[in-house]
Order: sequence, then structure tokens, then C-alpha cells
Amino acid sequence: MKKEPAYTIDELICTCISHQIEDGEVVAQGIATPLVAAGYLLAKLTHAPNLTFISAIGQSLCTNWAPLGVATIERLWIEQGIVTYDFVTAACDLLPHFGPKEFFRPGQVDPFGNFNNVFMGGTYQHPRLRLPGSGGIADVTPYEERVCLYVPRHGRHTFVESLDFRSGLGHIPTRQRGSGPRYLVSDLGQFDFGGENGRMRLTTLHPGVTLSRLQAKTGFPLLLPDPLPYTEPPTAQELHLLRDTIDPLGVRQLETLRGAARREKLRQILAAEAGKTG
Amino acid sequence: MIEKVRPLTAVLPHIQNGHTLGLGGMTLYRRPAAFVRALIQQKHPPQNLTLLTFTAGFASDLLIGAGLVSTVRTCYFGLESFGLAPMFTQKASTDEITIIEESEASIANGLRASMAGIGFLPSRAWQGTDLFSVRPDVQTVIDPYSGERLTAFPAISCDVAVIHVLQADRLGNCRLGGNPTVDEALAMVADTTLITAEEIVERLDAPVDIPGQVVTAVTHLPNGAWPTSCYPRYPLDGEEILRYVEMCGNGRFDEYVKRET
Repeated sequence: MKKEPAYTIDELICTCISHQIEDGEVVAQGIATPLVAAGYLLAKLTHAPNLTFISAIGQSLCTNWAPLGVATIERLWIEQGIVTYDFVTAACDLLPHFGPKEFFRPGQVDPFGNFNNVFMGGTYQHPRLRLPGSGGIADVTPYEERVCLYVPRHGRHTFVESLDFRSGLGHIPTRQRGSGPRYLVSDLGQFDFGGENGRMRLTTLHPGVTLSRLQAKTGFPLLLPDPLPYTEPPTAQELHLLRDTIDPLGVRQLETLRGAARREKLRQILAAEAGKTG
Repeated sequence: MIEKVRPLTAVLPHIQNGHTLGLGGMTLYRRPAAFVRALIQQKHPPQNLTLLTFTAGFASDLLIGAGLVSTVRTCYFGLESFGLAPMFTQKASTDEITIIEESEASIANGLRASMAGIGFLPSRAWQGTDLFSVRPDVQTVIDPYSGERLTAFPAISCDVAVIHVLQADRLGNCRLGGNPTVDEALAMVADTTLITAEEIVERLDAPVDIPGQVVTAVTHLPNGAWPTSCYPRYPLDGEEILRYVEMCGNGRFDEYVKRET
């Protein structure tokens, strides 16, 4: 009998994100990215107490925090803000001024960390799947120094040799400023872009993942470390903080679930929130 | 004193065929959802609208599903944790809708340029990306001081903006409630700015978020953002958003729009 793992994949991804955060940094969080929010808060409650958040919801600068929610998410960011801007000021001034560290979730990513959140398959006029759009990704990736990526479901449709569209700027020679992504975490491993010309490299494999499975799920050949290290699992303290303090409702799991399972989880979270506020 | 309060039936005709319609709020927060439903349910709703909105979500998807919109200008179209926006995603792969690809910076700088009365504003955004290939109208300029290559985002405005607010007074002064989005700018650049308000009072104390001077009319629509949120008055109704997603998934958009009236 296989032993039950002591943690789930969403918790491992949050822990990996947390470990990328340095104390005193300014970090930004986009729309519908609870794995990132949970990872930031985990860092804040462990090794990075002087973290400052910029949130897409409420456009505020926050040094305090509150547990994650769905229906009540505005409360987290608006009520914790030390200053609130309108989104015009946030996009034109705040983000260029701070150049925050930010984790983006690509629809597609190529070996050099260029990425795409506009469409997949077909043509731009007649896409197979239209994605929500680039948000602020096309804005900040040309100049930010500390871009990171995360992929909750590693697969060949995401890790592609060549993109259908480049809305996120990676490691390309013609870049004027900033840097391509420094780091990527998926549900299979951790990666950097330290290969030649900024090519993606595996740095650690998550426990229980085989190299052959990882390579089969990646649409291009990966550079591999030798020897091959495994990702440190979350500590008991990290798991306790995630489950009991930062995200008791399990909002972070919305990014690893799909379809009917995700809607079921949403209903559970909404019911719990209604019980609390009503 | 210019009295701005008007009934819904008096303000709906402001939106005409071919107009650019700006929607306030963002994704699932403080959207003018009741106004949008009333617009759709008119006997002859306007056609060929260009929808301009910072991030599009529930209310925008209703407009698309009901066939009022031919062109979309937004930097994000989706329902956050509730998934893709079903009607937009369906129609975006057909010729029914033209997308003018935007980003946060293209809309934000475009609004600022409009407010300033100039044709463009420069930014570091987009340099090196493929956005230029789908927006051939967007030009690059050289910073005359540093020589840096910058993006010249064109000014953006709209014929009519519709913004839902927490409180307004009879002069059109508005308080947004804490999540401003781009609505202060949107109200300034629109030729006509229509406000729907949870509550209308005789006179709001200063400071307000939107001054009555840029407001055309104010309409009392309590719960006017539902099922999106109107912070701090009510949170988003996630159950209703789920019901919408599931009905659209079963091809029942028309039934949904009828049912919720």
C-alpha cells in the first residue's frame, strides 16, 4: 500500500512560491491567483514579515493581511490597504515605480520563458481557444526584473516549443530592459532560466514525479541537473499556517481543480463564507 | 442647482446603434448589471456596440450573449475563479466579434491621454511583445531625451459610460465605495456619463470620487450591481455566477436572461 502524502500539490506550490520571496520586497498579485496570494502570505508569516503587497483587486498597497476568500475578496485587499489608488494610477505609475516581483500563470510558455495569455490554436482571428487576455502582462514583462511563472497543471499544451502569440516577454536578445522570468514552479517541479540564452532548466523534481513523466508532459527537451535533486516538501509549520491561518477555506485549490470538481469546491467555499458573514 | 436624477426609461435611449459603451467596475465587482439587463430587454436594443471596459466579466458577457456587441476593447475577459466568460469565449472564435486587443497600460494611458486632451501617451509597455501585430494602429516613438523606444498609446474615449456607484446625490456627485477601478477617469472621458446608484441622497459631503460636473444623469437602482458586488454594501453572489456559467454551458443563455428578470 502506498502511503498517503502528508501534503497536497497546491500546498507544495504555495510553499515553493513562498521560498522565492525575500523579506522587504514588494510583490504584486493578479486576478484569480489564490495560489500566489497564499504563497505570499506564507512568506509574510514565516521569513518575510516586511513584505508589501500590490493587489489587482482594490489597487492598494498592503502590509497587513487577512485570510483568503472568494465572495469577500475585496475586503481582504481594500480593508488592509495603507493607500488605495485608482487603476489608471496603478497601471501608469505604481507598477512601473515599484517594478514588483510577480507570479504569472501562462496559457503557453516557450523554452525561453516567453508566454501567452491571448489565444491557443488556430489563428488570432479564428482561435481554437480564446483566453481572457494579457491583463498587465504585456505591460510589465518588458521592464520588470523579477518576473516568475507558475503552472498548476503541467502539460504539453502549456509547455510548447513555439507560442501562438507572445504577450509575456521572456529571454530575447532584443529586450531593452528588465529580465525574462527568473523562476517557474509547476505541479511537477521547479525550474530556472539559467541555460544558454535564458533557456529553461529543471532545478528540482517534486517528490514522487519521474523524469520520464515530466519530459512526456513537456513539449520541448528540458535541460536537466546532475545529480537530480528533489523539492523540499512543506514543513509541518508551513502546512499548519496554510491550512489553519492563511486559507482555511481552501481557496488555493481552485487553481488545481477543474470543471465540475472546481465548481463543487467553489460552492463549498461560498457556503462557508455566507455562514460566516450572514 | 442642476437636478440630475432620471428614471431608467429616460436614460436607456442615450445608448444608440454603433456607440462605444464604457462599463464601469471590474470583472465581478460593482458592474452596472441591472442597467445592462434593462438595456438587453428593451424591445429594440441597440446594435453594433463597441464595448470598452477595463476588465470584462459578468455584465459584459450578458451584452455579448444578447448580441448587442460587435467589437470588444478590454485587457481581460473572464469570470476569475469561476472560469472563462462563456458567451465571450464562444463568440470570440467566430466572426461575430472583433477584438481590439488591450492591456492595463493601453487603456490606462489611453484614458489619461483623453483626459489631458492629447493624442497619445508614451509607456514602456508592449515593447518586444506581439501586441503590435494585432494592433497595427499603435505606434512606437523615441524618447527625445534618452533615445529609448516607447509605445505611444492612443487616446481612448467613449460615447456613453455607465457606472454603478454606492451613493450619489441629486447633483450627480458620486461615492464609489472603496474599489475605484478606472471609473473616475471613465466618467471624465465619456461624452455622456450615466450613473446608477444604490442610494441617492440630497447632498453628499466632500470629498466625492466623481464630481457631478462630469455626470449626465443619475438613476436609483438598488442592488444594481447584483450578482456582482457593491463593496461594502454586498459581496458578489457566487452562487448566481455559478448558475450563469452552468446554464450557458448547457446552451441556455436566452433562458437565463429571461429567468432573472
